[in-house]
Amino acid sequence: MAKLKLGVYWAATCGGCDVSILDTHERVLEIVEAADIHFWPCATDFKVKDVEAMDDGFLDVTLFNGAIRNSENEHMARLLRRKTKVMVAYGSCSAFGGIPSLANFTTREAILKKAYETTDSTVNPEGVRPQTSTEVEEGNLTLPRFYDHVYKLSDIVPVEYIIPGCPPPSDLLMTAVEAIVSGNLPPPGSTIAGKKTLCDECPLEKSDHPKISTFKRRFEVIPDGKTCFLEQGLVCMGPATRSGCGNACINANMPCRGCFGPAEGVKDQGAKMLSALASIVEFDDEDQARDLLAELADPAGTFYRFGASDGLLSPKYKQGSEEEAKAEGAKVS
Amino acid sequence: MSKRITIDPITRLEGHGKIEIFLDEEGNATNAYFQIPELRGFEQFCIGRPVEELPRITTRLCGV
Repeated sequence: MAKLKLGVYWAATCGGCDVSILDTHERVLEIVEAADIHFWPCATDFKVKDVEAMDDGFLDVTLFNGAIRNSENEHMARLLRRKTKVMVAYGSCSAFGGIPSLANFTTREAILKKAYETTDSTVNPEGVRPQTSTEVEEGNLTLPRFYDHVYKLSDIVPVEYIIPGCPPPSDLLMTAVEAIVSGNLPPPGSTIAGKKTLCDECPLEKSDHPKISTFKRRFEVIPDGKTCFLEQGLVCMGPATRSGCGNACINANMPCRGCFGPAEGVKDQGAKMLSALASIVEFDDEDQARDLLAELADPAGTFYRFGASDGLLSPKYKQGSEEEAKAEGAKVS
Repeated sequence: MSKRITIDPITRLEGHGKIEIFLDEEGNATNAYFQIPELRGFEQFCIGRPVEELPRITTRLCGV
Protein backbone atom coordinates (compact mmCIF):
# COMPACT_ATOMS: atom_id res chain seq x y z
CA MET A 1 0.00 0.00 0.00
CA ALA A 2 1.29 3.44 -0.91
CA LYS A 3 2.13 5.62 2.02
CA LEU A 4 -0.49 8.13 3.05
CA LYS A 5 0.23 11.80 2.52
CA LEU A 6 -0.31 13.69 5.75
CA GLY A 7 -0.61 17.40 6.48
CA VAL A 8 -0.76 19.04 9.89
CA TYR A 9 -1.64 22.69 10.32
CA TRP A 10 -2.25 25.11 13.16
CA ALA A 11 -4.51 28.14 12.96
CA ALA A 12 -5.49 30.02 16.16
CA THR A 13 -4.06 27.57 18.65
CA CYS A 14 -1.32 27.00 21.18
CA GLY A 15 0.62 24.17 19.54
CA GLY A 16 -0.45 21.67 22.21
CA CYS A 17 -2.22 19.64 19.51
CA ASP A 18 1.01 19.40 17.54
CA VAL A 19 2.81 18.25 20.67
CA SER A 20 0.05 15.69 21.29
CA ILE A 21 1.12 14.01 18.04
CA LEU A 22 4.58 13.64 19.54
CA ASP A 23 2.98 12.41 22.77
CA THR A 24 2.45 9.13 20.92
CA HIS A 25 6.15 8.64 21.83
CA GLU A 26 7.64 5.61 20.05
CA ARG A 27 4.30 4.97 18.32
CA VAL A 28 5.04 8.05 16.22
CA LEU A 29 7.15 5.54 14.24
CA GLU A 30 3.91 3.77 13.30
CA ILE A 31 2.56 7.07 12.02
CA VAL A 32 5.60 7.83 9.87
CA GLU A 33 5.65 4.24 8.67
CA ALA A 34 2.09 4.67 7.41
CA ALA A 35 2.33 8.25 6.27
CA ASP A 36 4.73 10.76 4.78
CA ILE A 37 4.44 14.24 6.24
CA HIS A 38 4.05 16.90 3.53
CA PHE A 39 3.22 19.93 5.67
CA TRP A 40 3.61 20.53 9.40
CA PRO A 41 4.88 24.00 10.35
CA CYS A 42 5.50 23.06 13.99
CA ALA A 43 7.92 20.27 13.11
CA THR A 44 8.96 20.46 9.44
CA ASP A 45 10.08 23.20 7.07
CA PHE A 46 7.47 23.11 4.31
CA LYS A 47 6.13 26.52 3.29
CA VAL A 48 2.71 27.76 2.21
CA LYS A 49 3.98 27.87 -1.39
CA ASP A 50 4.65 24.11 -1.17
CA VAL A 51 1.00 23.56 -0.30
CA GLU A 52 -0.11 25.89 -3.09
CA ALA A 53 1.97 23.83 -5.53
CA MET A 54 0.20 20.56 -4.60
CA ASP A 55 -2.48 19.14 -6.89
CA ASP A 56 -5.98 19.37 -5.48
CA GLY A 57 -6.70 16.35 -3.27
CA PHE A 58 -2.97 15.56 -3.04
CA LEU A 59 -3.02 15.13 0.74
CA ASP A 60 -4.88 12.08 2.02
CA VAL A 61 -5.41 13.48 5.50
CA THR A 62 -4.92 16.86 7.15
CA LEU A 63 -5.04 17.21 10.92
CA PHE A 64 -6.16 20.82 11.26
CA ASN A 65 -5.86 22.27 14.72
CA GLY A 66 -6.78 25.75 15.85
CA ALA A 67 -9.76 28.02 15.46
CA ILE A 68 -10.40 30.50 12.64
CA ARG A 69 -9.52 33.85 14.15
CA ASN A 70 -8.21 35.85 11.19
CA SER A 71 -8.14 35.90 7.41
CA GLU A 72 -4.91 33.89 7.23
CA ASN A 73 -6.50 31.07 9.26
CA GLU A 74 -9.48 31.11 6.90
CA HIS A 75 -7.27 31.19 3.79
CA MET A 76 -5.25 28.22 5.04
CA ALA A 77 -8.41 26.29 5.95
CA ARG A 78 -9.78 26.79 2.42
CA LEU A 79 -6.41 26.04 0.78
CA LEU A 80 -5.86 22.84 2.76
CA ARG A 81 -9.46 21.76 2.20
CA ARG A 82 -8.82 21.91 -1.56
CA LYS A 83 -5.62 19.93 -1.23
CA THR A 84 -7.00 17.30 1.17
CA LYS A 85 -9.23 14.24 0.79
CA VAL A 86 -10.02 13.75 4.49
CA MET A 87 -10.10 16.87 6.66
CA VAL A 88 -9.91 16.25 10.40
CA ALA A 89 -10.79 18.94 12.95
CA TYR A 90 -8.10 18.00 15.43
CA GLY A 91 -8.52 19.37 18.94
CA SER A 92 -11.10 21.54 20.64
CA CYS A 93 -10.16 24.85 18.97
CA SER A 94 -10.72 23.44 15.52
CA ALA A 95 -13.77 21.41 16.59
CA PHE A 96 -15.63 23.93 18.78
CA GLY A 97 -13.55 27.13 18.97
CA GLY A 98 -11.61 26.12 22.07
CA ILE A 99 -10.05 28.56 24.51
CA PRO A 100 -9.53 31.22 21.77
CA SER A 101 -13.32 31.28 21.30
CA LEU A 102 -13.70 32.82 24.76
CA ALA A 103 -12.97 35.96 22.73
CA ASN A 104 -16.51 35.61 21.39
CA PHE A 105 -17.65 37.05 24.73
CA THR A 106 -15.84 40.28 23.88
CA THR A 107 -15.25 42.30 20.73
CA ARG A 108 -12.46 42.77 18.27
CA GLU A 109 -12.20 46.43 19.24
CA ALA A 110 -11.88 45.61 22.96
CA ILE A 111 -9.15 43.04 22.22
CA LEU A 112 -7.14 45.38 19.96
CA LYS A 113 -7.44 48.24 22.45
CA LYS A 114 -6.34 46.07 25.36
CA ALA A 115 -3.50 44.31 23.55
CA TYR A 116 -2.05 47.33 21.76
CA GLU A 117 -2.91 50.24 24.06
CA THR A 118 -3.96 49.62 27.62
CA THR A 119 -2.17 46.65 29.20
CA ASP A 120 0.18 47.71 32.00
CA SER A 121 3.20 46.67 29.96
CA THR A 122 2.19 48.47 26.75
CA VAL A 123 3.90 51.71 25.74
CA ASN A 124 2.18 52.96 22.60
CA PRO A 125 1.37 56.68 22.97
CA GLU A 126 0.45 57.01 19.29
CA GLY A 127 -1.96 54.08 19.46
CA VAL A 128 -0.30 52.24 16.57
CA ARG A 129 -2.16 49.08 15.61
CA PRO A 130 -1.43 46.33 13.08
CA GLN A 131 -2.60 47.19 9.58
CA THR A 132 -3.63 44.71 6.91
CA SER A 133 -1.55 46.70 4.43
CA THR A 134 1.45 48.92 5.14
CA GLU A 135 3.58 50.78 2.62
CA VAL A 136 7.27 50.74 3.50
CA GLU A 137 10.15 52.16 1.51
CA GLU A 138 10.85 48.81 -0.16
CA GLY A 139 7.27 47.84 -0.92
CA ASN A 140 4.02 46.71 0.63
CA LEU A 141 3.70 44.56 3.75
CA THR A 142 0.53 42.69 4.62
CA LEU A 143 -0.97 41.15 7.73
CA PRO A 144 -4.14 39.06 8.08
CA ARG A 145 -7.39 40.73 9.01
CA PHE A 146 -8.38 40.10 12.63
CA TYR A 147 -12.02 38.97 12.64
CA ASP A 148 -14.69 40.05 15.09
CA HIS A 149 -15.76 36.44 15.62
CA VAL A 150 -13.88 33.20 16.25
CA TYR A 151 -15.11 30.36 14.05
CA LYS A 152 -14.73 26.63 14.33
CA LEU A 153 -13.26 24.91 11.26
CA SER A 154 -16.59 23.46 10.09
CA ASP A 155 -18.05 27.00 9.91
CA ILE A 156 -15.60 27.64 7.08
CA VAL A 157 -15.06 24.33 5.24
CA PRO A 158 -16.62 20.84 5.27
CA VAL A 159 -14.92 18.55 7.80
CA GLU A 160 -14.96 14.74 7.64
CA TYR A 161 -13.99 13.89 11.23
CA ILE A 162 -13.57 15.47 14.63
CA ILE A 163 -10.96 14.35 17.13
CA PRO A 164 -11.75 16.44 20.23
CA GLY A 165 -9.71 17.33 23.28
CA CYS A 166 -7.43 20.03 24.59
CA PRO A 167 -5.24 18.43 23.46
CA PRO A 168 -6.57 15.13 22.05
CA PRO A 169 -5.15 12.17 23.97
CA SER A 170 -2.61 10.25 21.89
CA ASP A 171 -4.72 7.07 22.20
CA LEU A 172 -7.47 8.71 20.15
CA LEU A 173 -4.98 9.80 17.51
CA MET A 174 -3.67 6.24 17.24
CA THR A 175 -7.26 4.95 16.97
CA ALA A 176 -7.77 7.34 14.07
CA VAL A 177 -4.46 6.43 12.44
CA GLU A 178 -5.29 2.72 12.65
CA ALA A 179 -8.74 3.36 11.19
CA ILE A 180 -7.27 5.37 8.31
CA VAL A 181 -4.53 2.83 7.57
CA SER A 182 -6.93 -0.13 7.64
CA GLY A 183 -9.51 1.79 5.61
CA ASN A 184 -11.96 0.99 8.39
CA LEU A 185 -13.13 4.55 8.89
CA PRO A 186 -16.38 5.49 10.63
CA PRO A 187 -18.97 7.35 8.53
CA PRO A 188 -17.98 10.92 7.62
CA GLY A 189 -19.25 13.37 10.21
CA SER A 190 -18.22 11.09 13.08
CA THR A 191 -16.41 12.24 16.16
CA ILE A 192 -13.58 9.89 17.04
CA ALA A 193 -14.08 9.61 20.82
CA GLY A 194 -16.72 8.15 23.16
CA LYS A 195 -20.41 8.44 22.42
CA LYS A 196 -21.71 8.90 25.96
CA THR A 197 -21.07 11.62 28.52
CA LEU A 198 -18.06 11.72 30.78
CA CYS A 199 -20.51 11.30 33.69
CA ASP A 200 -21.49 7.89 32.32
CA GLU A 201 -17.89 6.69 32.61
CA CYS A 202 -16.82 8.61 35.71
CA PRO A 203 -15.52 6.42 38.53
CA LEU A 204 -16.61 8.81 41.31
CA GLU A 205 -19.54 7.85 43.53
CA LYS A 206 -22.89 9.39 42.69
CA SER A 207 -26.15 9.41 44.60
CA ASP A 208 -29.28 8.20 42.85
CA HIS A 209 -30.99 11.54 43.31
CA PRO A 210 -28.29 14.13 43.90
CA LYS A 211 -29.27 17.53 45.25
CA ILE A 212 -27.03 20.53 45.67
CA SER A 213 -27.87 23.72 47.54
CA THR A 214 -24.58 25.56 47.20
CA PHE A 215 -21.91 26.16 44.56
CA LYS A 216 -18.32 26.29 45.75
CA ARG A 217 -15.29 27.57 43.93
CA ARG A 218 -12.34 25.27 43.47
CA PHE A 219 -10.18 27.04 46.08
CA GLU A 220 -12.89 26.83 48.75
CA VAL A 221 -12.90 23.08 49.07
CA ILE A 222 -10.52 20.14 48.79
CA PRO A 223 -12.48 17.46 46.90
CA ASP A 224 -12.48 14.14 48.77
CA GLY A 225 -11.43 12.19 45.66
CA LYS A 226 -14.36 9.76 46.01
CA THR A 227 -17.60 11.69 45.64
CA CYS A 228 -19.06 13.28 42.51
CA PHE A 229 -17.73 16.84 42.22
CA LEU A 230 -21.20 18.27 41.67
CA GLU A 231 -22.41 16.73 44.92
CA GLN A 232 -19.50 18.50 46.61
CA GLY A 233 -20.76 21.78 45.15
CA LEU A 234 -18.08 22.03 42.44
CA VAL A 235 -19.19 22.64 38.87
CA CYS A 236 -18.06 19.69 36.77
CA MET A 237 -18.92 19.63 33.05
CA GLY A 238 -19.15 15.81 33.07
CA PRO A 239 -22.92 15.63 32.49
CA ALA A 240 -22.61 17.70 29.28
CA THR A 241 -19.29 16.52 27.90
CA ARG A 242 -18.38 13.69 25.55
CA SER A 243 -16.46 10.76 27.01
CA GLY A 244 -13.24 9.34 25.60
CA CYS A 245 -10.61 11.41 27.39
CA GLY A 246 -9.69 8.64 29.82
CA ASN A 247 -11.05 10.78 32.70
CA ALA A 248 -7.75 12.66 32.82
CA CYS A 249 -8.95 15.62 34.92
CA ILE A 250 -11.18 13.50 37.18
CA ASN A 251 -8.24 11.20 37.91
CA ALA A 252 -6.23 14.27 38.93
CA ASN A 253 -9.05 15.26 41.33
CA MET A 254 -10.10 18.15 39.10
CA PRO A 255 -13.63 18.66 37.77
CA CYS A 256 -14.16 18.35 34.02
CA ARG A 257 -14.05 21.61 32.08
CA GLY A 258 -15.65 20.24 28.96
CA CYS A 259 -12.85 20.14 26.37
CA PHE A 260 -14.37 17.13 24.54
CA GLY A 261 -17.43 19.14 23.56
CA PRO A 262 -21.02 17.92 23.62
CA ALA A 263 -21.88 14.20 23.70
CA GLU A 264 -23.32 12.42 20.65
CA GLY A 265 -26.56 13.99 19.47
CA VAL A 266 -26.30 17.05 21.74
CA LYS A 267 -26.32 20.34 19.87
CA ASP A 268 -25.41 22.74 22.65
CA GLN A 269 -23.01 21.80 25.43
CA GLY A 270 -23.72 24.85 27.59
CA ALA A 271 -27.48 24.45 27.39
CA LYS A 272 -27.08 20.77 28.28
CA MET A 273 -25.03 21.72 31.32
CA LEU A 274 -27.59 24.32 32.36
CA SER A 275 -30.28 21.68 32.09
CA ALA A 276 -28.22 19.19 34.14
CA LEU A 277 -27.63 21.73 36.89
CA ALA A 278 -31.26 22.83 36.93
CA SER A 279 -32.29 19.25 37.63
CA ILE A 280 -30.12 18.91 40.74
CA VAL A 281 -30.14 22.33 42.44
CA GLU A 282 -32.33 22.63 45.50
CA PHE A 283 -34.01 25.84 46.65
CA ASP A 284 -37.26 26.90 48.33
CA ASP A 285 -38.00 30.24 46.73
CA GLU A 286 -36.84 32.67 44.10
CA ASP A 287 -34.55 34.54 46.49
CA GLN A 288 -32.69 31.35 47.32
CA ALA A 289 -32.48 30.49 43.64
CA ARG A 290 -31.02 33.92 42.92
CA ASP A 291 -28.46 33.56 45.73
CA LEU A 292 -27.51 30.12 44.44
CA LEU A 293 -27.02 31.46 40.92
CA ALA A 294 -24.84 34.26 42.28
CA GLU A 295 -22.50 31.63 43.73
CA LEU A 296 -21.88 30.26 40.25
CA ALA A 297 -18.73 32.02 39.04
CA ASP A 298 -18.67 32.91 35.32
CA PRO A 299 -21.40 30.55 34.07
CA ALA A 300 -21.04 31.46 30.39
CA GLY A 301 -17.25 31.13 30.44
CA THR A 302 -17.57 27.82 32.28
CA PHE A 303 -20.31 26.21 30.20
CA TYR A 304 -18.72 27.32 26.92
CA ARG A 305 -15.09 27.16 28.05
CA PHE A 306 -14.00 25.25 24.95
CA GLY A 307 -17.01 25.80 22.75
CA ALA A 308 -17.93 29.43 22.27
CA SER A 309 -17.85 28.94 18.48
CA ASP A 310 -20.25 26.00 18.70
CA GLY A 311 -23.82 25.27 19.70
CA LEU A 312 -27.09 27.09 19.49
CA LEU A 313 -26.87 29.49 22.41
CA SER A 314 -23.15 30.24 22.24
CA PRO A 315 -22.33 33.83 21.45
CA LYS A 316 -23.07 34.63 17.84
CA TYR A 317 -22.41 37.87 16.10
CA LYS A 318 -22.14 40.95 18.19
CA GLN A 319 -24.31 43.87 17.35
CA GLY A 320 -23.39 45.38 14.02
CA SER A 321 -20.75 42.82 13.25
CA GLU A 322 -22.70 40.51 10.97
CA GLU A 323 -22.18 42.83 8.02
CA GLU A 324 -18.53 42.89 8.87
CA ALA A 325 -18.43 39.10 8.96
CA LYS A 326 -20.07 38.96 5.56
CA ALA A 327 -17.72 41.59 4.24
CA GLU A 328 -14.89 39.41 5.46
CA GLY A 329 -16.31 36.64 3.30
CA ALA A 330 -16.80 34.28 6.22
CA LYS A 331 -19.66 31.86 6.12
CA VAL A 332 -22.31 32.99 8.59
CA SER A 333 -23.47 29.83 10.33
CA MET B 1 13.63 47.06 -9.06
CA SER B 2 14.46 45.35 -5.78
CA LYS B 3 13.92 41.68 -5.24
CA ARG B 4 11.88 40.27 -2.42
CA ILE B 5 12.16 36.96 -0.55
CA THR B 6 9.19 35.89 1.56
CA ILE B 7 9.60 33.22 4.23
CA ASP B 8 6.10 32.10 5.18
CA PRO B 9 5.63 30.55 7.61
CA ILE B 10 8.61 30.48 9.90
CA THR B 11 8.65 26.87 11.02
CA ARG B 12 9.60 24.66 13.95
CA LEU B 13 8.59 27.10 16.64
CA GLU B 14 5.33 27.81 18.48
CA GLY B 15 3.25 30.40 16.75
CA HIS B 16 3.01 32.12 13.43
CA GLY B 17 5.67 34.26 11.84
CA LYS B 18 6.61 35.64 8.46
CA ILE B 19 9.82 37.28 7.22
CA GLU B 20 10.08 39.61 4.23
CA ILE B 21 13.61 40.24 2.96
CA PHE B 22 14.30 42.94 0.37
CA LEU B 23 17.39 42.71 -1.85
CA ASP B 24 19.00 45.34 -4.03
CA GLU B 25 20.00 44.80 -7.68
CA GLU B 26 23.29 43.20 -6.65
CA GLY B 27 21.41 40.71 -4.51
CA ASN B 28 22.43 42.18 -1.17
CA ALA B 29 19.85 42.38 1.60
CA THR B 30 18.79 45.97 2.15
CA ASN B 31 16.10 45.46 4.74
CA ALA B 32 14.07 42.70 6.42
CA TYR B 33 10.76 42.71 8.23
CA PHE B 34 9.70 40.14 10.80
CA GLN B 35 5.92 39.95 11.18
CA ILE B 36 3.69 38.17 13.67
CA PRO B 37 0.37 37.58 11.90
CA GLU B 38 -1.44 36.17 14.93
CA LEU B 39 -3.30 37.49 17.95
CA ARG B 40 -5.87 35.70 20.06
CA GLY B 41 -6.60 38.30 22.73
CA PHE B 42 -5.96 36.52 26.04
CA GLU B 43 -5.21 40.00 27.44
CA GLN B 44 -8.89 40.83 27.06
CA PHE B 45 -10.85 37.58 27.21
CA CYS B 46 -9.28 36.47 30.52
CA ILE B 47 -10.92 39.47 32.18
CA GLY B 48 -13.96 38.33 34.12
CA ARG B 49 -12.89 34.68 34.27
CA PRO B 50 -12.49 33.19 37.79
CA VAL B 51 -8.90 33.66 38.92
CA GLU B 52 -8.57 30.01 39.92
CA GLU B 53 -9.37 29.02 36.33
CA LEU B 54 -6.57 31.07 34.80
CA PRO B 55 -3.91 28.38 35.22
CA ARG B 56 -6.12 26.19 33.02
CA ILE B 57 -6.82 28.97 30.51
CA THR B 58 -3.47 30.71 30.12
CA THR B 59 -1.65 27.40 29.66
CA ARG B 60 -3.23 27.57 26.20
CA LEU B 61 -1.07 30.57 25.31
CA CYS B 62 1.60 28.09 24.29
CA GLY B 63 1.36 24.32 24.39
CA VAL B 64 4.75 23.51 22.88
